[in-house]
Amino acid sequence: MAVELRPPAARPDRPPRRPGLGDTLRLAWREYRSMRTALILLVVLAAASILGSLFPQEGISPQRVDQYFGDHPALAPVLDRLGLFDVFGSAWYMAIYLALLGALVACLVPRTRALVRVLRSRPPRGGDLARYRTRAAFDTPASPDQVMATALRVLRRSRYRLAEHPEGSGEPQWGAQVGRGELAGEKGYLREAASMLFHVALLVLLVGLAYGKAYGYRGQAAIVEGETWANARVGYDSFSPGRFFGPERLAPFQLRLDDFTNSFYANNTPRAFVSHLTALDLDGRPLQSQRVAPNRPMTVDGVRVFQSDYGYVPVVRVQDRNGKELLAPQEVLTLRDPASEVSNGAVKVTRSTPQVGLQMVLFTGLRTGPDCPPGMDFCNDPRLSRPVLVVLAYQGDLQADRAQSVFSLDHSRLRPLGDRPLLLPPGRSGRLANGMVVSFTDLKQYSVLTLARDPGVPVVAVGAALLLCGLIPSLYVTRRRVWVRAVPAGPGTTRVELAGLALQGKAAFEGELARLAQNIERGTLGVPDRPG
Amino acid sequence: MSSASLATTSDTLAWLAVVSYVVAGALFGLEFAYRLRWLGVAGLAVTVAGLAANLGAATTRGLAVHRVPWGNMYEFSIIVGIITVAGFLLWLSRRPEIRSLGVFVLLPAVLAMALGGLVFRVPAGPLVPALNSRWIVIHVAAAITGSSVLCLAAVFSILYLVKERIERRQRPPAPPLVAGAARTADRVEVEQAVARQGGIWDRMPSADTLDHLAYRTAAFGFPIWTFAIIAGAIWAQSAWGRYWGWDPKETWSFISWTVFAAYLHARATAGWRGRRAAWLAIVGLATLLFNFYAVNTVIVGLHSYGQ
Repeated sequence: MAVELRPPAARPDRPPRRPGLGDTLRLAWREYRSMRTALILLVVLAAASILGSLFPQEGISPQRVDQYFGDHPALAPVLDRLGLFDVFGSAWYMAIYLALLGALVACLVPRTRALVRVLRSRPPRGGDLARYRTRAAFDTPASPDQVMATALRVLRRSRYRLAEHPEGSGEPQWGAQVGRGELAGEKGYLREAASMLFHVALLVLLVGLAYGKAYGYRGQAAIVEGETWANARVGYDSFSPGRFFGPERLAPFQLRLDDFTNSFYANNTPRAFVSHLTALDLDGRPLQSQRVAPNRPMTVDGVRVFQSDYGYVPVVRVQDRNGKELLAPQEVLTLRDPASEVSNGAVKVTRSTPQVGLQMVLFTGLRTGPDCPPGMDFCNDPRLSRPVLVVLAYQGDLQADRAQSVFSLDHSRLRPLGDRPLLLPPGRSGRLANGMVVSFTDLKQYSVLTLARDPGVPVVAVGAALLLCGLIPSLYVTRRRVWVRAVPAGPGTTRVELAGLALQGKAAFEGELARLAQNIERGTLGVPDRPG
Repeated sequence: MSSASLATTSDTLAWLAVVSYVVAGALFGLEFAYRLRWLGVAGLAVTVAGLAANLGAATTRGLAVHRVPWGNMYEFSIIVGIITVAGFLLWLSRRPEIRSLGVFVLLPAVLAMALGGLVFRVPAGPLVPALNSRWIVIHVAAAITGSSVLCLAAVFSILYLVKERIERRQRPPAPPLVAGAARTADRVEVEQAVARQGGIWDRMPSADTLDHLAYRTAAFGFPIWTFAIIAGAIWAQSAWGRYWGWDPKETWSFISWTVFAAYLHARATAGWRGRRAAWLAIVGLATLLFNFYAVNTVIVGLHSYGQ
């Protein structure tokens, strides 16, 4: 079929063609994959991320989101509808970064094609060398062929990709004589290739991130010293699975907390806290033992186990005035205040009438008077030196059928029982005003562990490594083109002309070209190269 | 020496460094204004002395606390001083002509250190368990270097904007369309006015040079910043069990990364290179400062080690 090379001549009777839908789409596509679009999307992504740091985020601090709802009852629901409490999981944030990724891919395709085209073609002719800003020239007694051979060697050593163009190109020449052919060299393709590697690595990283999020999970579990915990959904206090993570995928193992230790510096700041953990299989056979501390996780069956928090567990027993047991010795989980190391907990005695609630404050080392900072009657030593359980009793209706915190009492239908609290060291008992006996039989510690599985980590790691590998050459490798011509200039003299084009690092190129010229000149004279 | 006396020595040396930098900055400024070379040489000597005091401050602090001396904002500020000034001196050894920029490099270093000493000073002490990792050496060192270098890039962008504005104003108006004696006289007058205006700013590098300088600095800082974020992610993976969790500090470091990525792209985009790109670098500076000062103190997150 014949191909119409020329555009059809415009006919006077027909108005110029109006751009159709196809043209508009093509134009939009061109605009979408332009650097400007990527630039604007980057700025928009940054601005959107700021929102995520200004408002409390559901995924990071749900308590602070609840607090925000309490503080701003009118505004909070509106913000919630806009997704401002879960910015990084919201549809609009996803839309921004997917648009950016789309632009990235759209931009990579033509760039790959262009790079392949460049790599498959030979470095082009220089044309009129006089139009280049960076030039060098010298005269040498060597023959043009010798010069070209030397230039080939010098440029090859400087890692130029070379092409020899035969003479008689018919193009205008720099200098009076007709050229005897030219040597064209190009280097610095790595810059473009590395830049593309960087952008591909970003995609790899994000794919790994999404994969890990979808097929991984993360949860927290508390284990009391000496106890064994089974890795099952019910064992977790908080559990956030990925979209495609089924609880049946939980690795079958158990963890036993053999011991927990914590220590402090002289200025009472925490020094270390360590869980001595043993992993067991479901039949109770030990698999491995390890000390798990902050920055020292343990890996069991692909699940990473991290130390995240700890607390105290007083064991409390309650009897009525006749010694009848109202509450068998019970481990009371308490909430530790990290600043003072004082813990709070509650015991709810529902079997008595009226019901009795015990608010308990555990001091790890109760100090009074002179041992404390001036102006304080009592204070706490964070070390487990002199534990004291302070018990404040209340009676009335605990409203235990209503959902409430395990760490505190609902005081709305309670009144104080007695006027002074009990102060119990471990192993001691005390009698409340109604005759009940509260015993502080034992004190244990619990360790809060974070368990996480993220199958995307290796992919993300590869992505990050490729990202760095691509980034540095993409910023520092410079693309250059160089042309060398040698023409006879009188008897026994050859005029050598060099010209070059630098796309980046133009300031340094002047010197580079001069050095190339110098090395070629020295080569033709048989003098060794100047280093550098 | 005991830990306490080492810590006191460190504080003294840090202030000595600040004072030296102020004096050196003043000397560079005077050299710049009065074109007296010996002032600049003296400034250089004082800068080197200040850097020695600064290094001494970091070393004694490290000895006092038995760990790397960058565990809190005060120590971070001291290291910012070292990185900025040492980097400047290294660069100066290769390109002596940038001495005229000395005052603009020392000023941010002085501000960072003085703010650290006045507002964020904490007594020498050990690290909380979460920070006890060899990654603190790598991640925090990279973060200090990366952010210092990127801040300097933004400082050069600010200078570029100022200089570019001046150059634009000084450019004589387009030649008159009608040739004639009166017009020629006008032009002579304009040129004389321009020549009279020439002051300190004329001695600054040209706008193009400053723009190039800003780009080179950002291109140097950006990979370091990228590495700092990656190192932080590796550390977070071993300390908190996730490499990325949109903690405010992580979020803001990502924002800075994005903005400087936009800057690097803008430099290669028609319609954005020049002034708009420079403004992006300044936005980047603002995000870095916010990340260091506001996120550490105001916003609650896992990185709140400031106090």
